[in-house]
Amino acid sequence: MQKNLLKPGWIFGLIAFLVLFWLPLVARPHQINLLTEIVIFSLYAVSYNLLLGFGGLLSFGHGMFLGLGAFTTGAMLQRIPGLPFFGAVFLGTLMATLIGLGVGCLLLRHKGSYYALLTLAFNALFYAIAIKWHTVTGGDDGLPIKRPGLHLGFVQLPMSDVTVFYYVTLIVIGCAVLFCWYFTKTAMGKTVLLLRENEERMQFIGYNPAVSRMILFTLTAFFAGLSGSFYALFFKFVGVDAIGIDMTTTALLMTFIGGTKNFFGPVLGAGFYITFQNFLSNITDRWPLFMGILFVLLVLFVPRGLSGLIQSLVDRIRRTKTE
Amino acid sequence: MNVVTIFILHGLVYAGLLFLVSSGLTLVFGMMNVLNFAHASFYMLAAYFSYSLLTWTGHFWLCLMVCPFLLFVIGAGIERLLLRRVHTLGHVHELLLTFGIAFIISEIVKWVWGTAPLPMEIKGFLDSNVNLLGFVYPTYRLFVLFCSVLIGLLMTFLLLKTRMGIVVRSAVDDSEMVNALGVNTPRVFMFVFALGAALSGFAGVISGPLLSTNTGMATSILVDAFVVIVIGGFGSLIGAVVASLMIGQLQSFGALLFPKFSLALIYLLMAIVLIVKPTGLFGEKK
Repeated sequence: MQKNLLKPGWIFGLIAFLVLFWLPLVARPHQINLLTEIVIFSLYAVSYNLLLGFGGLLSFGHGMFLGLGAFTTGAMLQRIPGLPFFGAVFLGTLMATLIGLGVGCLLLRHKGSYYALLTLAFNALFYAIAIKWHTVTGGDDGLPIKRPGLHLGFVQLPMSDVTVFYYVTLIVIGCAVLFCWYFTKTAMGKTVLLLRENEERMQFIGYNPAVSRMILFTLTAFFAGLSGSFYALFFKFVGVDAIGIDMTTTALLMTFIGGTKNFFGPVLGAGFYITFQNFLSNITDRWPLFMGILFVLLVLFVPRGLSGLIQSLVDRIRRTKTE
Repeated sequence: MNVVTIFILHGLVYAGLLFLVSSGLTLVFGMMNVLNFAHASFYMLAAYFSYSLLTWTGHFWLCLMVCPFLLFVIGAGIERLLLRRVHTLGHVHELLLTFGIAFIISEIVKWVWGTAPLPMEIKGFLDSNVNLLGFVYPTYRLFVLFCSVLIGLLMTFLLLKTRMGIVVRSAVDDSEMVNALGVNTPRVFMFVFALGAALSGFAGVISGPLLSTNTGMATSILVDAFVVIVIGGFGSLIGAVVASLMIGQLQSFGALLFPKFSLALIYLLMAIVLIVKPTGLFGEKK
């Protein structure tokens, strides 16, 4: 029974991966760019869902980690000449992780509405810093970035090429998403899941909920920072939008559109969100309004998101087959 | 000496506005456990309504009476038609719904009124200065302070002395029990939600001429109001008063002494309060 359930999942995953590898061969450059953006935001949304879906923690401060990753990567590339590609990514991710650890330590006793508010306040704080600290972040003007080339010992990859950047992003971010998935299967991941279900009982058995929550928070900060680094390298520009509340909103929308109950829901959500946004912004300048209306309709009528919708469709087909 | 007094007054004026916004927020949270992200959007919406009404009719007093009423109706509609539907799905869904509504309202405002800040000019008695104990102070700021104190007193009276107030206060404590005693709590919820929206709207109207009417005004006061209810404790009106006064003074003197870090000071205060007393100054553990 277990094997039967697993098999379609693996086949589906393999197909998805092959399709993602094959797509740049037939797509036009702007479509590849769109795809790169989807891949980057997939990790961002997946890391957010580790908090919201798996940890049951509603955070309004996820945008600050993407922003921290992006700003650190940008500022370091500007300040340190000859900084290699992965050096910049590493520094950006490290910064987000360290700040995540610090904020996580302050938050560890809280959950629920306090958690939401405190994360929002921290996000607002970092946003204010990004605007005020003009010498490093460029303030309102933002930070232009030169994307460095990638040296892999014997071969040098031209990162300015759209397709090459796509493949590098796909491999790095894809591995990170897979690691997130692996994390949910580990003992630590299960602990977080069970904490959401019954914290008192977990405490009774001898787990420390505060520490587990802090570890989870730091981990999600790490992944958001990684996606932030790639965000900066992808757009070759970091503005204050990257660290604002709207960036958190984006994570929330993507995750919720895709569905929080399924691990790969946020990936679906990110894909849908960016494609839909691209489609809408071609038609109208008011795309955020339609995004908001869609979001409210989803909350009202499809609270489990797209993946929940697909799941119930699959269930229905299965039921008719067995009957 | 003079500068200090003026900045204390500035702080008091901002505290008044903040109290009007956060009192509704904290009452709604206390009763329904809903963190209302759309609350500050009501504030913004009212400011824009009053801008339009003012340019159309030219009477500020009319704005003061009409806009809160409009917001009352909008708030009641949102509670009855949207929020109540997701009530059974849990708090996270309610919160997300209000979040979506805030998003939509802010986009509508950008669409209808544009993104540029709109100046609001009032004429007559309010647009003058008064001589106050030897220094000149704008009448309008005093008017704002007067309004918020009046409304605060009115609310205290309503909550403490009327039957409706007793029902609301007991619903904050234990809404299930109140419902079991035969009170139509959903209707009380709707009323309080709408009243909160109206108060927030009132604050929006009077803030128009004081601060600029712009698309970022909702977010900026929302974050401050959230800090207020965290410091004061969720669901506590006294807490909202005290925390508003603290934040008001901190804002005012922060801008005077450390202009670059005035925002950080507020979060610092919040962090200290949460470390010393995680439930806020007047909050009770539930």
